[in-house]
Amino acid sequence: MPVDHWMTFGSFAEQRYFAYPAPGAYKGVIINANMAAYAPDGMAAFLMERTGSLSYLIDPQTHAFQHEPSAVQNKDGEIKKSIRELAQHYGEPVASAAGVRPVLPEHFSPDMRSAFVDRVLGFQQTVLPTTMEGSEANEYLGHSVNDLQPYALLAPYFFLTETAIDEWLDVNRSLAVAAVAQKPPGARIFVPLVLSKGVLLSDSARPQLEDTFDGVPADGFVVWIDDLNEHEASEAVLYNLLTLAQALCSSGREVINLHGGYFSILAAGVLGSGAFSGVAHGPEFGEFRSVVPVGGGIPIAKYYMPPLHSRVRYRDALDMLRRKGWLSSAGIFHQSVCDCDTCIKVMAGNPEHFVRFGEAAARQVRRGNGFVRMEFPTSEAKERCLCHYLHRKQIEYQFARTASEQQLLDNLERGVQDLRSIVGTAGVSHLQAWRTVLTTP
Amino acid sequence: MVSKLIEFLSLEGYRVRQEVPNMGQSADLVATRGRWVTFVEAKLKDWKRAIQQCRPHEQVADFICVAVASVNVSDSLVREAQDRGYGIIHRNRNTGAFSWVTRPALNGNVWRPQRRRLRRAMREIGYAR
Repeated sequence: MPVDHWMTFGSFAEQRYFAYPAPGAYKGVIINANMAAYAPDGMAAFLMERTGSLSYLIDPQTHAFQHEPSAVQNKDGEIKKSIRELAQHYGEPVASAAGVRPVLPEHFSPDMRSAFVDRVLGFQQTVLPTTMEGSEANEYLGHSVNDLQPYALLAPYFFLTETAIDEWLDVNRSLAVAAVAQKPPGARIFVPLVLSKGVLLSDSARPQLEDTFDGVPADGFVVWIDDLNEHEASEAVLYNLLTLAQALCSSGREVINLHGGYFSILAAGVLGSGAFSGVAHGPEFGEFRSVVPVGGGIPIAKYYMPPLHSRVRYRDALDMLRRKGWLSSAGIFHQSVCDCDTCIKVMAGNPEHFVRFGEAAARQVRRGNGFVRMEFPTSEAKERCLCHYLHRKQIEYQFARTASEQQLLDNLERGVQDLRSIVGTAGVSHLQAWRTVLTTP
Repeated sequence: MVSKLIEFLSLEGYRVRQEVPNMGQSADLVATRGRWVTFVEAKLKDWKRAIQQCRPHEQVADFICVAVASVNVSDSLVREAQDRGYGIIHRNRNTGAFSWVTRPALNGNVWRPQRRRLRRAMREIGYAR
């Protein structure tokens, strides 16, 4: 099973991690269209110079225009520049609605759908390839615009919820059909399916969705389930995600999960019969994401705990490790927890150095009428946690590609057995749920 | 409640700091006497939350206490605190007086590297009393 490892681009501050732990570590990069529209030179330089010429996909983000205008406004109530740029590329019906009112299904009259699709596909075909072709780095490489095309072109799409699927499904389908019909020579068309958990759980909506897109001769799909945290999701949600992905890939088409964790990685491998061809996450986690962005909380150091396949707060990780006796020596730590390059370097033979993953500095932060003292992870601690996380993800993808079914299941069971007495049943229930779902016929 | 609690602890011979960060949390009070470090989480209600907040303090504190303000101290709080070796300070809502319900036990589980970090962080925080 291939189990392609994709990474979603979040910010330029993270760009050096796309060649970490080594150049070629990832199948490709997923870029939001608004970033490509707003900073094409930066994105082109990133792709040419920082990724080792990885494949890339541009998420056209057409759903951004269907939400309340506040979802695409800055804190001053103005439309975000990147979204405004994108709207200008896409034209009507989104250009006049962007930041003013939500675009509605009836705004996509049948006669304008084809032109809209043309502009959305055209944007993906040109914005970065032409910038990359003209870039300084390409003077030596000599790639043509054709050489620099995305891995696939993504059809325009809108977010489907259980309550609004009847209104948007036909629009999504016709945009997908038009995209396939207008496919440029040599290109591939992938159809994004961006869904609420309610659609997955609905006995009527999910089959309706599968039937609708079964007949669309796209080359593949990308799937994004709104805010689906695999560690907290019910077995029913995970089972239906697996069923949907297996239905979509049944004719040999690629299915990429835009935001997935270890469950999706396992589903992409032998345990899920290759339900996904690839799974993406961000350098700074990004294993689940809300379709409508929500603000982040106070940053806190988190250590990816390999036996749990889960990122936990540093203080909780420390508590677990000490209760298990896994910090009694560096050797025991590496044998029981992690022997990735980052952990070996950070620990440097001394288990007390685990404290470096939780290094923090206190700052005064305004709260109400006064100030409170709060701790923030140091940039060094964040870097250590991040590098360890990226190493672990490499190991997880490789394990899913090469291990037998029994080895994969044993690994989940080991996490349960090792940590159930420390974190309680709730702390390991995700491992049990994943095992159950992946072994249910 | 916190300012009165600081007074109470001062009379007991402690030097007290407020809002001391510890591994992404902030302890309400950290009281020191000699080389001993006592963490105190104060709650007007929801003592279960206070108990939860105390758990990470086990990595760094010699003694851990929960301070509650109520008419009576529930048996379940006493049991939970004793199981963990935590002390309980009670402020009587009727009289406003503080008293020890149980004294904390010495925590033998302090992790020295984290404690050293705490010491360094505490140096930057002035005493409330």
